[in-house]
Amino acid sequence: MSLLDALFGAFAVPFMARALLVMLVLAVVAGVVGVLVNLRGLEFISDGLTHAVFPGLAIGLAVGGTAGLIPGAAIAALAAALVLTWLDRAGVTSDAAIAVVLTATFSVGVIVVSRSDDYAGELEALLFGRVLTIPPDQVLPLVAVCAVALLAVGLTLKQQLFRAFDAGGSRAAGNSAFVLDLVLNGAVALVVVAAASTVGTLLVLALLIVPGAVARLATQRLWLLFPAAAVFAGLCAWFGLAVGFWGSVGWGIDLPAGSTVVVVFVLGYALVLLAAWAGGRTRTLAPRADDERPLDDARAVVAGEGR
Amino acid sequence: MGYFERALVAAIVIGAGAGFVGALVVLRRRTFFAQALTHGTYPGAVAAAALAVSVPLGAAAASVVLVAVMAGIARVRRQGAQVAAGIVLTGGFAIGAILQAVIPGLPVRAESLLVGSILTVTDADIVLAASVALIGVALVAMFGKEIAFSTFDPSGFRAAGYREWPIELLVLALIAATVVSALPAVGAILAIALIAAPAAAARMVVPTYRAILWTAPLIGAASGVIGVLASRALAVAAGPSIVLAATAFFALALGISKLRGLPLNRVAIPVETAEDARIA
Repeated sequence: MSLLDALFGAFAVPFMARALLVMLVLAVVAGVVGVLVNLRGLEFISDGLTHAVFPGLAIGLAVGGTAGLIPGAAIAALAAALVLTWLDRAGVTSDAAIAVVLTATFSVGVIVVSRSDDYAGELEALLFGRVLTIPPDQVLPLVAVCAVALLAVGLTLKQQLFRAFDAGGSRAAGNSAFVLDLVLNGAVALVVVAAASTVGTLLVLALLIVPGAVARLATQRLWLLFPAAAVFAGLCAWFGLAVGFWGSVGWGIDLPAGSTVVVVFVLGYALVLLAAWAGGRTRTLAPRADDERPLDDARAVVAGEGR
Repeated sequence: MGYFERALVAAIVIGAGAGFVGALVVLRRRTFFAQALTHGTYPGAVAAAALAVSVPLGAAAASVVLVAVMAGIARVRRQGAQVAAGIVLTGGFAIGAILQAVIPGLPVRAESLLVGSILTVTDADIVLAASVALIGVALVAMFGKEIAFSTFDPSGFRAAGYREWPIELLVLALIAATVVSALPAVGAILAIALIAAPAAAARMVVPTYRAILWTAPLIGAASGVIGVLASRALAVAAGPSIVLAATAFFALALGISKLRGLPLNRVAIPVETAEDARIA
């Protein structure tokens, strides 16, 4: 079996088709949300959310089996989004507070799992996902969760961008910073919920961070960032699943599907980084005078840091 | 020394060391970096276990590679440190998981690398953690002034003619060594809490840099002991309960600092005008 066969033929198998559908929807939504995460510098908060969802998954699994995964994760994620938004505004040194909150919640999850019979197996499934064994009746809820996240970001997109580039101006124009932060964190949380049951809690972050970072390398045009991120994420998800299938069926190497997809994401990032480097896009240039302001200047002002 | 006493000793040593270096991590705002490092050591540990070399050695080697990659990405225009850390972190986990799946018959189990197993620490682990902690204390005793200067006033530090990279490198190396030595107790995922929580708690209740350096190791060691005891009493995994103990200290400190902020015994602000001053 050649890689080409795997790329186009593998998805005739029902479980691969389901995995592809879920991964594509997830990748596109994560790409769009990820651009905002990148522009706002929320990578660390996203990481906090991915960990905070873990106890929700563990408790959901303990109470309701695999059907309990999504409701449990959704409750945990929305609660965590609220707490993180509040902590951020309470002026607790953000990084440390988030690290503490996230590992604490993670610990709760591990403790819940550690009381079950199959400790190691369940822990691994929750951490690294089970994308190939998504039951058919879970596809719809997963897609619905992604759609809600996309809708939340899409409806507030203009305000989110305004806040990312000019926080003070956005507040002065009457937008509530708290509501915008909450919506964005909530959207990230929903992506995390959907992704946690497919690629696993440890690898979700790649889906959120890598496409946004790639888009920033690929283009300077604001509105091209979103399609660029979505297309990159979709291609990588497709290719990753195909490579995993190819390795397992063609070569007998037991590649875990979720991890393979993430490795493809990271390799894709490395390729784009190399291409950008070769094309001279990574050098620090003087700010351009025309109306297409380099994004970093605005971001540096927003974040109060000169990078 | 039975396994339980050894676990207690390990908890004290690792907790104190992590708390001490954690003070530098929190004050210098390197939490996300330290976290990426903790996560990224996972593939190194798996590879080392597969090659039958020492696990801390593999984790340390992996962390050196990761720091180099992160430093490279962080310098790229429009990328930055958070992106770098995030990519290294997830990439590390994914590679670790693939290694684990591809290499059959690994002598270690995934979850002991990820969430720690303090009840199975060896004397070598304790010695490693103790020496890392001692080296950390010695380095901070020697270069404490420079570290404090560069932490609180980076531009003043540069203006005074110091170069920044030796201090940065020193602190990063200390962080990496601490992360590696903390792995046996709390594992790759939970290590960051043992590093960040004691210092974040200390920072909220004590006023000075020096006091944070004293208080954070105490809180770290106390979290370790309480966690191990609670783990035995309640029959739950030890790594998470250590982390929850550290978090409880953080929550306590947060509560104390918020209570202090309340206007319970506010004195009237003396209103003094120029007129009053002249008359007096």
